Amino acid sequence: MPYLKFSKILVISIFILLATFSNAEIKPTLNVYTYSSFTSDWGPGPKVKEAFEKECECILNYVALEDGVSLLSRLKLEGKNTKADIVLGLDTNLIANAEKTGFFAPHQQQLKNSSLPEPWTNETFIPYDFGYFAFVYDKNILKTPPNSLKALVEDKNGPKILIQDPRTSTPGLGLLLWVKKVYGDKAAEAWRKLSPRIVTVSKGWSEAYGLFLKNEAPMVLSYTTSPAYHVIAEEKLNYAAAEFDEGHYQQIEVAGLIKSSKQQVLGKKFLSFIQSETFQTIIPTTNWMYPASLSSDKLPEAFGDLVQPKQALIFNDIEIEENRKKWVREWLDALAN
Amino acid sequence: MKIGIIISLFLLAFIAVPLISLFGASDLLSSQKSTIAEMWNSTYFRRVVFFSIWQAFLSTVLSISVAILVARAFTRLPRFPFRHLILSLFGLPLVVPAVVAVLGIVSVYGKQGWLPLGENLYGLTGILIAHCFFNIPLAVRLLIPTWDTVPEQHWRLASQLQFSSWQQWKHIEWPALRENIPSIALLIFMLCLTSFAVVLTLGGGPRSTTLEVAIYQSLRFDFEPTQAVILALLQLVICLTVALLATRFSKLPDVEPNLNSHQNINQVQQSLGDKITQPLFIIFATVFVVSPLLAMFIDAINGPMLEVLTDGKIWKATAFSLFIGLVAASLSLFIAWFLLNASAEASIKNKPILSQSMLLSGSIIFVVPPLVIGTGLFILLSNYVNVFDWAIGIVILINGLMGLPFIIRTLGPAIRQHKMQYNKLSTSLGFNAWERFKHIDFPLLRKPIGLSAALVATIAIGDLGVIALFGSPETTTLPLLLYQRLASYQIPQAAVTAAFLLAISLCLFWLLEKVIGGKHAEH
Amino acid sequence: MLSIKQLEFSFPKSKSVANKNDANFNTLFNVDVNAGEILSVIGPSGSGKTTLLNLIAGFIQPSAGQILIDNNDISGLAIAKRPVTSVFQENNLFPHLDVFTNIAIGIEPSLKLNESQKQQIFAALENVELTNLEKRLPKALSGGQRQRVALARALVRKHSVLLLDEPLAALGPAMREEIIDLLKQLVEAEKMHALLISHQPEDALKASTRTAFINQGKVLKIDNTKRLLKHSDLTEIKNYLGEA
Repeated sequence: MPYLKFSKILVISIFILLATFSNAEIKPTLNVYTYSSFTSDWGPGPKVKEAFEKECECILNYVALEDGVSLLSRLKLEGKNTKADIVLGLDTNLIANAEKTGFFAPHQQQLKNSSLPEPWTNETFIPYDFGYFAFVYDKNILKTPPNSLKALVEDKNGPKILIQDPRTSTPGLGLLLWVKKVYGDKAAEAWRKLSPRIVTVSKGWSEAYGLFLKNEAPMVLSYTTSPAYHVIAEEKLNYAAAEFDEGHYQQIEVAGLIKSSKQQVLGKKFLSFIQSETFQTIIPTTNWMYPASLSSDKLPEAFGDLVQPKQALIFNDIEIEENRKKWVREWLDALAN
Repeated sequence: MKIGIIISLFLLAFIAVPLISLFGASDLLSSQKSTIAEMWNSTYFRRVVFFSIWQAFLSTVLSISVAILVARAFTRLPRFPFRHLILSLFGLPLVVPAVVAVLGIVSVYGKQGWLPLGENLYGLTGILIAHCFFNIPLAVRLLIPTWDTVPEQHWRLASQLQFSSWQQWKHIEWPALRENIPSIALLIFMLCLTSFAVVLTLGGGPRSTTLEVAIYQSLRFDFEPTQAVILALLQLVICLTVALLATRFSKLPDVEPNLNSHQNINQVQQSLGDKITQPLFIIFATVFVVSPLLAMFIDAINGPMLEVLTDGKIWKATAFSLFIGLVAASLSLFIAWFLLNASAEASIKNKPILSQSMLLSGSIIFVVPPLVIGTGLFILLSNYVNVFDWAIGIVILINGLMGLPFIIRTLGPAIRQHKMQYNKLSTSLGFNAWERFKHIDFPLLRKPIGLSAALVATIAIGDLGVIALFGSPETTTLPLLLYQRLASYQIPQAAVTAAFLLAISLCLFWLLEKVIGGKHAEH
Repeated sequence: MLSIKQLEFSFPKSKSVANKNDANFNTLFNVDVNAGEILSVIGPSGSGKTTLLNLIAGFIQPSAGQILIDNNDISGLAIAKRPVTSVFQENNLFPHLDVFTNIAIGIEPSLKLNESQKQQIFAALENVELTNLEKRLPKALSGGQRQRVALARALVRKHSVLLLDEPLAALGPAMREEIIDLLKQLVEAEKMHALLISHQPEDALKASTRTAFINQGKVLKIDNTKRLLKHSDLTEIKNYLGEA
């Protein structure tokens, strides 16, 4: 009967199709879970892969998730059966929580020429870059940006903004902590005031920034370093980060090795590679952050013109770990109103 | 018949086990009573529950009221140009994947669209538009046959008595509709209450999240199984309540209603206002339904076709999707075949309760949201395996079983009638099971079998529900890929992906219906 | 006088717009009905009886011919403008409306009645011997009572043409006789022109002095009822009576 023949052909062709995608691999594979902007064509991912594969005799395989916080959720969802060898893209605000899962092995690395503002003491994660959250705007569209977080929050007719979800994204979580730092117990109230001017809450940084570039809102939550991208990659001088009087919340992005991974040696090699000059010089003009182990004279020129926060705001790991859930709930409650 | 009972028990177990795992998990957390208290006190969760019901209610009221106007116009204008074509088009949303519709709606009402609604699109407005896109055509198709239940003498009386449009409605149409509307309304309410893809893509912010999406976010965002379990149980209770309400009214309406034009209504006097507005209702509804699909195709043609179609991702996703669709349809048909035969046999042997129970065991999954089952399975399996490795299998299983209620409705009556007509004869001729299937059952039933297979495969291919829970960059289906593009606001790429997905769905539907159903099928 | 002159109906080749069970060939009618007369219409099923009534009521359009009432042609009028009231075999009443309202919509579809109209309705109810049942819903009435409500409606409408399409078919013999008596009274009193389709020759005998026999879409004979039924030589009538 014709229908039998047809279904046979269909099934066989599907198997052939599937087979071509699961091509046999002989080299060891290092699975790196990271966020999507890292692996995008213009992000550091492709260059890092190329450089590392040159020296490791291995295949570097990215599994790209929306943003930093989803990395941690995904890891918890997969539990001890995770296929990740390296997780790259958590930040200082998630370190304590990530360590508590017990999934990560100590990095056992000698930290090389750190360019971080403070000395690095964590023994599980290796920092690869850092930066300060900031609202980025187009000077041609927004003539007078707010000059403090309070000014942004309090001004009912202030500019509309694009932000990220603290449940999935590290900038989103960063803003949550920033507001908490500035407003303390009054954070919920601040969010309620800000709420009508939030155009959308995206899952990751790339989505929000993409919308900003399409002029969906005059301001987007990003980094003080973002304008450098427009200067260097696009030769556009009209983008700037608004400097806030209260100071800017600081983020250090880190990578860690999974304890149960079968690629311990390869994994440590990657953690070490992260601190190498090769990796570190890729970061400024692809991830658009300050590298964690590169002296400042090797930074591109445009980085010199960026906003220098008057004060770097930060909570300590333990305080975040104790309160994150509560604060996220508070945020949800405030925005649900 | 034994095999039918075994399958029934298996089906019930498949629903029961994840639910028990949910209850088990919630019990485990009873020490953490604080979670429930916390959620109870949370503005956010109260908003979620309220919003779930509110948006479903609004969607239902809107869909039904517009559908009544449109269906009324259709029955009054039996010779409206392209009437048949338009009504066929109205059957399309049944097989248009929800994410595709969302993309189409963004193409029309999005910022760059034909009728920009701006920021308002994301949130309640967008959700309502999407739900209306699906449910107005559905309701129109379900309502039109109601006009046929009006005795033609009533229309003749109305024309002699010179009823005005309002009086026709009040004395003739509303009394007839009144009996059918509750069941149609509850069906639509249920569909909107459990709608996931639409709310995920067009809502999902803290102000516009439904229970269904909150369950997903609890697992995937917060990794809060406790929270997910509580929300899933709450969703289950609401759905069962709605389902129980629905059974108080008549049973669910037919999937393939009779849409032949009514012949008597057009004699009733129509005021000038009516004559003008009736065609407008039809035109408005048609434009409303067609424009998203059209806008999407236009966007796709103008979009980066080459870029999207030469990307390996889309082909890998297509392979996964086709695999899921075909296997789910086969699984569903396989189960349904034995179940329906056993049920028909029981019915012939005068055991109506057994027969009905078998059908019920296959239909009951309709009232349990797939995401609730998915969550149960997720929590159950995550103790033992990496659930993301099992994504495809679980998606196939759940989609296959979700298709059963559709098959029971399309194939069930045919099998029963077939059994009554030919059972004695086939038995007396001494066929073995395969011969009988090949020579008697299949040739006579291939049309409904083809339609069933096409429906289930198409729905499975376009499903963005369970796959969102279990999907990962390694196992991405077409709807998930489309969702990711939509979520990162790559609208042109998304438009191409959506058009591609819709084309694949429709081709598959057409192929399965034609290849299995045959050209000269009986019945 | 109601007079039907050369009234033609060509049956559409495609779908039926007329009664599904009725004739599916072209018809040509010539009939006169006097004021105060009930003309019975008999004939085999599918002969065109209902087509005739549908033409008069305007449910279907004639291809030629005239429908004259006292020399005024109504064949061009819209359904609602014709001075015609129809009573069918069933479904004459709206199930959700009570008896009073079912009659009232016959005068005033808006149901905004003045006092005299209300009195009219009560009078009509009395006429059809349904006093005190005005609050009942149709489902609480017997078949005969329902038809009487329909007659009461015909009465209040005061239209000069009454088309009775087998109004007796669903009733028992005793009930039929009662309704026929009532009909005769009403038609006589209101000087209506009534056409009564019936499947029972006895009904025609009781109801009508004159009866028309229709066959193959034509009025084959109009005659004194008794003569037509008992003494006709026409084989068609004999065959029909044999069947009936």
